[in-house]
Amino acid sequence: MTTPASRRVARAVWRQTAALGAFTLREYRIWQSYRVNQIMWLTNIFVTTLLFFLMGRMLTAADAHLMGAAYGTNYMSFVVVGIAVNTFLFTNLADPYTRIQRSYFNGTMDLFLLSPMSIFMPLVGLMTKSLLDDYPRLFIVGAFGMLLFGAQFRFQFSLAALGFTILLLAAAFGIGAISASSFYLLNIKRGTEPVRFIVQQLLATLLAGTYYPITVLPRPLQWVACFIPHTYAFDALRRLLDPGANMGLPVLPVQRIVPWSPLTVDAVALGLMTAILLPLGFLLYGRGIEKARREGTLTRWQ
Amino acid sequence: MMDGPAVDLRAVGKTYPGVELSLRGTKLETLGPALWVKNAIRAARLTIEAAPPVTALADVSLTVAPGEVLGVLGPNGSGKTTLIKILAGLIRPSAGSGSVVGYPLGSSDAIRRRVSYVSTTGWMGLEWALSARDNLRFFAELSGMSPALARTRTDEVLGALDLTDDAYKLTSELSNGMRQRLIMARALLWRTPLVLLDEPFVGLDPGHRQALSDYIRRELPARGQTVVISDHQAEVVESVADRVLILDKGRVRALGTVAHIMQSLSGLIVLEVVTELSDTPVLSPPPLVRRVERRMRPGPLGLMHWRLTVEQGPSTFSAVLTWLSSAGGRIVEVEERRPGLQDVMADSTVLAAEGA
Ligand SMILES: Nc1ncnc2c1ncn2[C@@H]1O[C@H](COP(=O)(O)OP(=O)(O)O)[C@@H](O)[C@H]1O
Ligand SMILES: [Mg+2]
Repeated sequence: MTTPASRRVARAVWRQTAALGAFTLREYRIWQSYRVNQIMWLTNIFVTTLLFFLMGRMLTAADAHLMGAAYGTNYMSFVVVGIAVNTFLFTNLADPYTRIQRSYFNGTMDLFLLSPMSIFMPLVGLMTKSLLDDYPRLFIVGAFGMLLFGAQFRFQFSLAALGFTILLLAAAFGIGAISASSFYLLNIKRGTEPVRFIVQQLLATLLAGTYYPITVLPRPLQWVACFIPHTYAFDALRRLLDPGANMGLPVLPVQRIVPWSPLTVDAVALGLMTAILLPLGFLLYGRGIEKARREGTLTRWQ
Repeated sequence: MMDGPAVDLRAVGKTYPGVELSLRGTKLETLGPALWVKNAIRAARLTIEAAPPVTALADVSLTVAPGEVLGVLGPNGSGKTTLIKILAGLIRPSAGSGSVVGYPLGSSDAIRRRVSYVSTTGWMGLEWALSARDNLRFFAELSGMSPALARTRTDEVLGALDLTDDAYKLTSELSNGMRQRLIMARALLWRTPLVLLDEPFVGLDPGHRQALSDYIRRELPARGQTVVISDHQAEVVESVADRVLILDKGRVRALGTVAHIMQSLSGLIVLEVVTELSDTPVLSPPPLVRRVERRMRPGPLGLMHWRLTVEQGPSTFSAVLTWLSSAGGRIVEVEERRPGLQDVMADSTVLAAEGA
């Protein structure tokens, strides 16, 4: 006979896995149910790509020297990595709040909170949409770009690039969970959510370096940029993917003072951010739900 | 299975923090910073604009036996939803204690997998892009039900709620009543020990209302499921519940079987009287009149409608007529009927003399 404790754990794990599976399946069914969607989806990606590349082409000639020596020679590739990382981060950082908000207002949150799944599962499960929709989009953008618009990437470090992508997604989701927690913790049910606003709209837009390396910024701002995951992700992925990039040349202020290789600095920084932000996000989200239960703001009232 | 009562509440109360009046220039709030400032001010308890706290539920004590159907009756704002959310563990009570399905209030992790909950107010938590059937499957799978069981149960509840023919329609193509039956169906998937239904009949046509009410009565207690079902209409609750709890501004006004509550009304009759309008001040009613409700009847004649709850007796009618005539207007129409739960709900003081 199995001990009740281990059986309980097994059951709990099965339940959460089933819930995650159900979320994924639901997203797939919804995605699939909009037949027009799939054509729109491709069209949309094509137009986005076209836009990136037209912009890239325009800037290539004029501003290529701004890229500095570390990130290779192809500005198109530089920009594509910038936009791709931004999109990844945006999805994981900004969407949790929106999805929690939506399921609160349409009444599914009540049911999630009353089902046997963990209170954190909606937070994670609602993100499976990204797996089906947002992330694949980026690979298609890349493919379009390479096939039609002359972007170039090198693939010998794909595995490392994948590792960095996972780290950056985790760190960004940590911030996303913190942002989602303010839905309950600060009772911000509508309007602008502060965490998301500060990190994504303010810091990332200004400082992260989607279109230019952060070395063009004044030194103090470069230091501020070191506090968001974007900066490290841009740096690492550009070094790994852009043709002609340099692995050893430090660019970020932290890389200049720490005696490690730039990629190690990026990995450690992203790892640290994940280790702090992810648990903090879940902790705050759990606190928020408890607070809302006490105050009566957990589910919709009118 | 639990041994004790399905629900056991002792002096449970809920006071919501006052919903603060919005700052001047609400539009700013949508921009964010103003809202953050407001939240900060509120967190620091500096706000002067705070509305007073709302007592939604006070001193509610109650036990419900396994397999029993308890009806919760009360007008809007009487605390029905608050009570049901407390039982579901979605809200913590601010006073009192108790247990639900054998677990203390507050152990929401244990309670939530043993209750089903239907709320028909507002959005219903349906996925509009999915068919009726896929909606049910999604929620069945969320709870870790095996695919085979999920399929059987889905078919069964679709049948029970007369939705088999509409199973493959998208939720967005269903009528409101169908959607409502769909969320009922969803709550019946699990066969949890406790089923909480918050105004499930609102908006259903009489045929489906009857069918649903019959289904609840017939199937759920037979499986040992306990049901707490709320509504603001007496006849609906009467037809489905073993016992009725009448709430009035968050307080228990009556609790017992319909027969028991009706019995405490015995000796009372309700007179519906229509009189002409007059300017003469109305004298205070004779003591045998327990309750007076009066409103203008719309229409060109200018008539007054009186609803009087009176003690039955040999001189009742003449005393009432004399009193009404003293107001000057002539009596146009008189009708008598037995009082019902609706009358208790409208004014619980009619029960006061019996000490209910
Ligand atoms: N989250 C909340 N915050 C503040 N007041 C609330 C909240 N929920 C309910 N109330 C108030 O509590 C009272 C009871 O509400 P409710 O339980 O919804 O009653 P019912 O379901 O009988 O209409 C009402 O006065 C309502 O305005
Ligand atoms: Mg209600």
